Amino acid sequence: MANAVTQSILVVGGGMSGLSAAIEAAEAGHEVYLVEKNPYLGGRVAQLHQYFPKMCPPYCGLEINFRRIKNNPRFRFYTMAVVESISGEEGNWDVSIKIDPRYVNEKCTACNKCAEACTMEIDNPFNYAMDKTKAAYLPHDMAFPMRYVLDPALVKSGEAQKVKEACPYDAIDLDMQPQTVELKVGAIIWATGWKPYDATKLDNLGFGKYPNVVTNVMMERLAASNGPTQGKILRPSDGKAPQNIAFVQCAGSRDENHLPFCSSICCLASMKQSTYVREQLPDAKVHIFFIDIRATDRLEDLYRKAKKDENIVFFKGKVAKIEEDSATNNLVLRVEDTTSGTLHEITMDMVVLATGMQPNTAEDAIPTPVSYDEYGFVSALGAKPGLYAAGCTRTPVGVYETVADGTAAALKAIQSIARR
Amino acid sequence: MSAKVDTSIMKDLKHFGLKDAHKCFHCGNCTAVCPLSTPENPFPRRFVRYIQLGQKDKILHAPEPWLCYYCGDCSTNCPRGADPGEAMMVTRRYLTSLYDWTGFSRKFYTSEKFEIIAILAVAILVGLGMLLFNTGNPNWEHAHLNSVWPSHAIELADLGMAAILSFLLLTNVFRCFRFIMGDLAFKIPVKIYASKLKELIVHTLTQKKFGKCTDRMQWFVHLMIMTGYASVFLMVVVFINGLTIENLKFQRDVIYPLWHPWRLVGYYSTFAIMYGTTYAIIGRLKKSKAPYKNSHPTDWMFLILLQLTTLTGIFVHITRLVDWPLPTYGLYIVHMMVAVPMLVLEVPFAKWAHLAYRPLVLYLLKVKEAYLQEQPVGAEEVSAEVASAEAVASE
Repeated sequence: MANAVTQSILVVGGGMSGLSAAIEAAEAGHEVYLVEKNPYLGGRVAQLHQYFPKMCPPYCGLEINFRRIKNNPRFRFYTMAVVESISGEEGNWDVSIKIDPRYVNEKCTACNKCAEACTMEIDNPFNYAMDKTKAAYLPHDMAFPMRYVLDPALVKSGEAQKVKEACPYDAIDLDMQPQTVELKVGAIIWATGWKPYDATKLDNLGFGKYPNVVTNVMMERLAASNGPTQGKILRPSDGKAPQNIAFVQCAGSRDENHLPFCSSICCLASMKQSTYVREQLPDAKVHIFFIDIRATDRLEDLYRKAKKDENIVFFKGKVAKIEEDSATNNLVLRVEDTTSGTLHEITMDMVVLATGMQPNTAEDAIPTPVSYDEYGFVSALGAKPGLYAAGCTRTPVGVYETVADGTAAALKAIQSIARR
Repeated sequence: MSAKVDTSIMKDLKHFGLKDAHKCFHCGNCTAVCPLSTPENPFPRRFVRYIQLGQKDKILHAPEPWLCYYCGDCSTNCPRGADPGEAMMVTRRYLTSLYDWTGFSRKFYTSEKFEIIAILAVAILVGLGMLLFNTGNPNWEHAHLNSVWPSHAIELADLGMAAILSFLLLTNVFRCFRFIMGDLAFKIPVKIYASKLKELIVHTLTQKKFGKCTDRMQWFVHLMIMTGYASVFLMVVVFINGLTIENLKFQRDVIYPLWHPWRLVGYYSTFAIMYGTTYAIIGRLKKSKAPYKNSHPTDWMFLILLQLTTLTGIFVHITRLVDWPLPTYGLYIVHMMVAVPMLVLEVPFAKWAHLAYRPLVLYLLKVKEAYLQEQPVGAEEVSAEVASAEAVASE
């Protein structure tokens, strides 16, 4: 322990793996700093409707973690913050963190008065821009911290003053400036997670062109009660309940022109989402178009159950082309049934593209030299001592693996400091 | 029905240019993305499967390879880089060799050395022949080709060559016909064959199916080469001696005025072929698009011979215009030394043969379709055949 200048740990990314790592480390007695880019903690999991393996709503798991945070004096976190630079070495890192202004201070009680006063609207990032939200907004119903945010566009506008004056608690500070915080930490855990592969790059599948082609992450929002449709699965073009829904697997995955790897979770995610459809729309028919179904370990049960359902058709063949019937906004899928070798054109009301998980590190690299694999995940080979990747920064995984991985990363970080 | 497995096919097809077919994981993307693939005739994935499974018989009797014009959409969109478009091209080369009863085509495709030696041998024979057989009394004052090799003599040689070519090509075409039609070949009344002849002509002239590919540039380039080549072939083979009419002679010593149809057609052909071949050569050098990414030695040979023939033709035209006898005669020999091997070897045995197989197969499919519409019993047989093919494919 002699060489470690400090026993504190920095965790970058407040999603499921980062939260797990940070909380475990703090509960083990370490000073922990958590840095999160969004104005709230919880990451992609907060945006799900239900998650594996027990189909829990995300707040279930997140609430427990938030309570552990509140009870722990060694846990500090920054939202709307990114790591700008890292220098130093194992046991002695200097980190610079940039915090964007939220324009709302800790006096906020989430009374919603600012939003009521505000007329400006922005695309709602929490719902993948499927609806609008006020420019003075709470990121989502159960946001942690429970504090409003002002969009920079609103602050620059003439409306800002009116919104500020609407706050009865003097919680709005229009002069808030970006801040830089310098930290000295002993170990770093990188858990910036993933983003859905950009479906507009899949030219032949019509995402962005045809309103009824959505992605799997959007489907989670459509099914969630705090989503753009209050939890009703409706097709975007006309707000009608779809009767024929297609899940297009490997939309950009296992494809050397896009993401060459398998994200390992999309098959199960589509089967999970088909249960949303089946519960809400008992007559609706689901087609799952796949190359190979990958249902691993205990989640194979989900596959077994789905196969028994007469309204879920597993169709072996990769959808190559989607075209829209402009009169009905229905979608025509061109696909070969590779079992019989026959070519089909199948009409669907709505299509869900099962896009894969691209590591955020593929486009936003860690600001210190680290080795990555060919897809942009932080590689285990040639790992940097004192800097550990967790969750989907390391490999694409589901929620419960990510929790385990976050805990594992916390142990690695603790060992890295304690060993000295 | 038993399916015979030819375990050596994958290895064998490497000589025909197969590289990446083993990478295919059978997602079916290629077949569904292809604008020419139809529920009746789906391709290309099926052929990648046949290749992997050693289903030589299935390949031999299949019309689909000739329905593909290699626009490359399947290869561009292939998630595995298995290059299904190339597999189809390889299948066409393989079929050309299987249709050819002489075995020459196979040698031509599988050995670059053989290809070069064969072309050189024919070229030398032609050169020697022209040096040995001529009037012996060339006009050294003016560039008059007829004074050395009179057009009626060239016409005779042409007819001889055309007879040999036709014999070889047509016997191979007949084999192609038998393989494609199977038991139906002589069951279908001549009346139906005759009624669909229009299809044969339309497809030969327009290649309208090619126009359905996403990349229409390939169709245009191909049409340029085809029309340029066809018109020049007509002039040098049919009209070399003008069917004895002085003003229709392609080879004559008095140069036609600029507006004469032969000169205009000649200039069009020259431009069209040079444009098409240059576009293809640059494309293949730069690997600018999927169909140009893999070049088999026979692809290069085809383009080089065609371009050399045209270039030497241009030179002969220029030396005639400036009236230089010796260069004219010399270049004429070189011109023949390139043109003749190209025709004699490429037309029945190599890439040129597709000019017969492609329209023929499209025509035969129309004939089959018309016949099956009239014969509901036959339709059942065929659907049983299709079903068993599927059963094999899905094994």
